[in-house]
Amino acid sequence: MTLVSERPGTGAPRPYTFPRIVRRDIAGGRVIAAHLPGQALSVATLLLDGGAGHEPAGREGLASVVAKALEEGTASRDATAYALALEGLGAELSTSADWDTFMVGTSAPAHLLPRALELVAEAARTPALRPADVERVRDDEVTGLKMDWASPGPRADAALRADLFGAGERYGRPLHGDPASVAAVTVDDVTAFHRSWLTRPGVLVVVGDLDVLDLDALAATAFAGTVPSEIETTGPLDVPIADTRKIILVDRPGSVQSTLRLGHRAPHRAHPDYVPMTLTGTVLGGAFTSRLNHLIREVRGYTYGIRGDFGLARRFGRLLISAGVQTKFTAPALVDTIGETSRTQSGGVTEDELAVARSWRAGQLSVEMQTPGAIAGALATLVVHGLPDDYYPRLRESLLSATVDEVSAAAAAHLHPRGLTMVVEGDAAVIRDDLVATGLGEVVDG
Amino acid sequence: MPSANPPGAPTTGYPWPIETTRLANGLRVVVSEDHAAPVVAVNLWYDVGSRHEPDGQTGFAHLFEHLMFEGSVHVAKTEHMKLIQGSGGSLNATTNPDRTNYFETVPAEHLELALWLEADRMGGLVPALTQETLDNQREVVKNERRQRYENVPYGDAWLRLLPLLYPAGHPYHHSTIGSMEDLNAADLATFQAFHTTYYRPNNAVLTVVGDTTAAEVFALAEKYFGTIERGEIPPAPESALPGGLTEPAREVVRSEVPAPRLYLSHRTAPFGTRDYDVVTVLAGILGSGRGSRLYRRLVDEARLAQPDNIGAYGVDLAYAPAPVIISATAKDGVDADALEAGLTAVLAELAAGDITDDEIDRAKALLTTQWWRQVSTAGGRSDLLGRYATQLGDPARIGGQLPSWLSVTADELRASAAALLSAQSRVTLVYLPATEAAESEENDK
Repeated sequence: MTLVSERPGTGAPRPYTFPRIVRRDIAGGRVIAAHLPGQALSVATLLLDGGAGHEPAGREGLASVVAKALEEGTASRDATAYALALEGLGAELSTSADWDTFMVGTSAPAHLLPRALELVAEAARTPALRPADVERVRDDEVTGLKMDWASPGPRADAALRADLFGAGERYGRPLHGDPASVAAVTVDDVTAFHRSWLTRPGVLVVVGDLDVLDLDALAATAFAGTVPSEIETTGPLDVPIADTRKIILVDRPGSVQSTLRLGHRAPHRAHPDYVPMTLTGTVLGGAFTSRLNHLIREVRGYTYGIRGDFGLARRFGRLLISAGVQTKFTAPALVDTIGETSRTQSGGVTEDELAVARSWRAGQLSVEMQTPGAIAGALATLVVHGLPDDYYPRLRESLLSATVDEVSAAAAAHLHPRGLTMVVEGDAAVIRDDLVATGLGEVVDG
Repeated sequence: MPSANPPGAPTTGYPWPIETTRLANGLRVVVSEDHAAPVVAVNLWYDVGSRHEPDGQTGFAHLFEHLMFEGSVHVAKTEHMKLIQGSGGSLNATTNPDRTNYFETVPAEHLELALWLEADRMGGLVPALTQETLDNQREVVKNERRQRYENVPYGDAWLRLLPLLYPAGHPYHHSTIGSMEDLNAADLATFQAFHTTYYRPNNAVLTVVGDTTAAEVFALAEKYFGTIERGEIPPAPESALPGGLTEPAREVVRSEVPAPRLYLSHRTAPFGTRDYDVVTVLAGILGSGRGSRLYRRLVDEARLAQPDNIGAYGVDLAYAPAPVIISATAKDGVDADALEAGLTAVLAELAAGDITDDEIDRAKALLTTQWWRQVSTAGGRSDLLGRYATQLGDPARIGGQLPSWLSVTADELRASAAALLSAQSRVTLVYLPATEAAESEENDK
């Protein structure tokens, strides 16, 4: 048997194109749409300025309760009738709230999308929000959070967030709240949040075969009964960095792994260094081939996987490194993680690594954007961060032309290994002494 | 009358071309052209999974999958990932009881690279396999076991259900992740033999979907895979079983879980049969979405179950009757007995024939959307084509899957529910919070 020994070269590159984008003002709202000819499925999503950033103090998770409550019936039908009407079309209501936006939408075969969007709008604009239902949804959400918080991760995430942004600040509290803050949500909170943020027109995102879909009709459905209003925008936050490292130990007795969450603050999404920061993150921990995963999984065998990357929202960003490591290797895994972060900050990246990072990020713009859902997400990014129609082709060019000097400069400027907060959720009785012995930073209980 | 089949509903679930060939060494090649996106998906199904593992070697097929990324004769250790990511691609592999699949989606100009990499590890893995690599990946897999099964509440449910569903000695009795003891005992020679035995062209299906042509793929397949020698593939362990259990089975687990949870399961029919298509629709009626029978009865009406953790689904296993799994988690203040009574009452209703046309249409409509979502990417299509080619002998069977679900009748569903959902054939797995279990034990005394 003879295998071909020589690695084949690259074939003729295909030109990169993002689907044709249409932006229109219709029926008092704005529409952004992308044309995907021949796709059986289509997507319609209402993008509303009702993210978790608007939640009042002590009510973190309110937007998530509102999202769940939308499915409990509308002015014209009860919860079961609503579910049967929507699911009878093969569609389901998809709701989510992140820091910047509240999204409610659905996916359906193109010929059923107009009817499905009518039902989406009915839930978003005219939910019944009966007090007994709202209270039950809230209680279920508390239970759901307790279930989530029984798994490793949420407690560590909360400890990190509080340390980076301040426990008294909205961004210092968990995105979806915690069991106590959701338990504090009242019926009035829910109806007030809905009235303030879900009755404005917002932006309708449509992806699918635009030869079949009628944007005027879809927009009329989505914006019916809404009142246009100006939305105040607030600028990005500063980027304070701690001057010493610390280890926050969150006890999880009997845990066979330690959950690591390391981070520090970073600039917001629309920062001019976005591309070199993304490539820095990719080399450090954003890909399977990254420095962190290579050393800590492939060489040391301490973990099933470790990831690190910049996560960037409209007003703030942060570096976040996450892993689950075997309990007895907690301390050496932390030492290695700090080591690789420091090396990347001080020494920058190599051409060899950057070549992989560039091509991977650029190629992913084709590989990971095949579906209507993925394209809808890309359009939402354009809307939330105020980016132009030709953003993705330009992003691709910027990624491919980034130099070692530019990316190394971003690593030097935006990585802060001496200011990292290191949260470790694990069996404190077993790992505390090892953590202290690393000398990486003061160990405090979280 | 409501209908999930409006005029214009497709008569096939696969409106793309499918072309196939077989190389002289037995490798089946399936190509489905689609020039909508500038990408190609390359997918290999090897007809070997944890069902082939003998006693004392549980977890080996999956650990072996990890070794396939660690280099081969012309590909240095760690180079595989680097080359695929460096071409802009996404890649992964999975192992289940039935088979092992390897797949990548890359920008179309890197098709040849992907085929070269796959051929090199099909034909040239053994010389590159070292003790160091095995030791390292063994630790990675043990960490995977800790992370996914041991360190999360209810994480070991599937590991517990399998031995209740399938008798000792049956190929599905043990889990794919395997036991820590067996993983610790794994030696290099066993893995070399495993590759030599099963990673043969005549035990694999190569599928390519996307921005290419069948002629190009067939020529490249011949160039890169054509010289790899066929092998004698030993017959798979005997796996035939009658449909359901004849005696109920039950396990109660007391552990660090936040609320009581139940898993009920029945053996049904193998994936690929008409009976299993009926079960898929039945599971949708029972457990998909807020309009499902379980959600309406136990969440909306009786308020016994949490809304986020309730459902029913089939696990698509092909070589013995596949399980349908029904699960629900108790709301605050509801005990496991009350939840179990609620669940079994819903199953009894279905078994007694209480199924409406609206429920059937709803389940079919959801399956239709789910199907189109699954085939909306080149990668999704390639994996399904590999499945139908490997397990049912013909990739073109893919086109009939959606029409088959849509043609399931109320009579078939009633007959299926009556035959499969009896208490006599049920597996019941109960999780109780450790503290609550202690309290109820005290009450027993």
